[in-house]
Amino acid sequence: MTVIQEWASDFYKCFIKEDRYKLLLSGVGVTVRVSLLAVFIGIFIGMLIALCNLSKRKPIRFIGSLYTDVIRGTPSVTQLMIIYFVVFATVDWDKWIIAAIAFGINSGAYVSEIIRAGILSVDHGQTEAGRSLGLNAFQTMTRIVIPQAVKNIFPALCNEFIVLIKETAIVGYVGLMDIQKAGDFIKSATFIAFMPLIGTAVIYYVLIKMLTLLLSRIEKMLRKSDIR
Amino acid sequence: MIKVKNLHKKFGKLNVLNGIDAHISPGEVVVVIGPSGSGKSTFLRCLNLLEDVTEGEIYVDDQMINAPKVNINEVRQKMGMVFQQFNLFPHLTIMENITLAPVLLKKMTKEQAEKRGLELLRRVNLEEKASAYPAQLSGGQKQRVAIARALAMNPEIMLFDEPTSALDPEMVGEVLDVMKDLAKSGMTMVIVTHEMGFAREVASRVLFVDQGIIMESGTPDEVFNNPQNGRTKLFLSKVL
Repeated sequence: MTVIQEWASDFYKCFIKEDRYKLLLSGVGVTVRVSLLAVFIGIFIGMLIALCNLSKRKPIRFIGSLYTDVIRGTPSVTQLMIIYFVVFATVDWDKWIIAAIAFGINSGAYVSEIIRAGILSVDHGQTEAGRSLGLNAFQTMTRIVIPQAVKNIFPALCNEFIVLIKETAIVGYVGLMDIQKAGDFIKSATFIAFMPLIGTAVIYYVLIKMLTLLLSRIEKMLRKSDIR
Repeated sequence: MIKVKNLHKKFGKLNVLNGIDAHISPGEVVVVIGPSGSGKSTFLRCLNLLEDVTEGEIYVDDQMINAPKVNINEVRQKMGMVFQQFNLFPHLTIMENITLAPVLLKKMTKEQAEKRGLELLRRVNLEEKASAYPAQLSGGQKQRVAIARALAMNPEIMLFDEPTSALDPEMVGEVLDVMKDLAKSGMTMVIVTHEMGFAREVASRVLFVDQGIIMESGTPDEVFNNPQNGRTKLFLSKVL
């Protein structure tokens, strides 16, 4: 048998036979759902923690730094398993929602640092100009500082989103069949390693490539006031 | 209109202002001069509490503004401020820069604010830049927009913090011209500057600040032509 025939037969066994491609497709669904929900939770928590970190009150700043410290200091697999098997052990929610919460909590710590850095990167003169016009601190933040910070935050946030998608490849630990787990399952069922694992990699790559292209278009739109 | 009593300001252990007393009446153009690090900018920034005051009292229209529970935002609406670094909002067009505060603070409707904005832009000769973004303007143009933005709130007092120090020399004139017009129109102004010629021409009173106190105060003629204080003489001999 030639190499090409061998590959074709492997391809057939791994993806076509017994409709195994459907397994991967539903895996894509799980990965996308978990990632999307986790991103929203992550941004929400990230904003809260960033506000804590930028607060003038010491106890509030302490809460923020403790959160970041604990999340960054422990592996995400451990966090996922604690959230799933301990915190939500008795809660009867869909597995993917609980996983998304775990990843959101994890991502929030990193997002908060991104947001904090973005807000601090806006020149203090902007705040002074806003306040000197009589705007209060909240109006200055929402109308002047944050719109400018978003442009600085966005690229880093995109990067965090991409990291997050790849991080979700560990949801197999709590019994979710995502892309990675589906590839792994096919590998065990067919005793072929190359085809399903490369297939898994290609699917992740295409997914992230599409996302990158989309996000860079949005970024260009955000930069429209930078024209000289 | 503004009364300052025994104003002290410390940054950590550094004493920047060591007891300033001043009185600024309506219609006056007060120019503050002095060597760098003398505290003149800090003094100006204390007037609208961009710096919090360590000790002393500041009154605007007989209201003590550094008392607790004063709504400083309302006070600041009466005091326009122009910065050395312009501080235009780069994400907004020139017109939006000017109309943001009056509309947001419900002083005017959007239509009124835009009409007023156009008037002000005409006054600073930048009518055609209304829909441009700050990055498309030269330094002198930016500073003229910054003046228009401050004027849009119809302030009673205008504070200028070294408005021409960050400009290329050939752009200083256009900004000073706008300020001269403003002075002629009767606006109360406090100006920190290194432009001695401008001070001499426009000021109704000159304050010489050094080591955090007002060393000398008088008409431009008194201060420039017949200074009494030794430090004033020394400073003027260096800059004139």
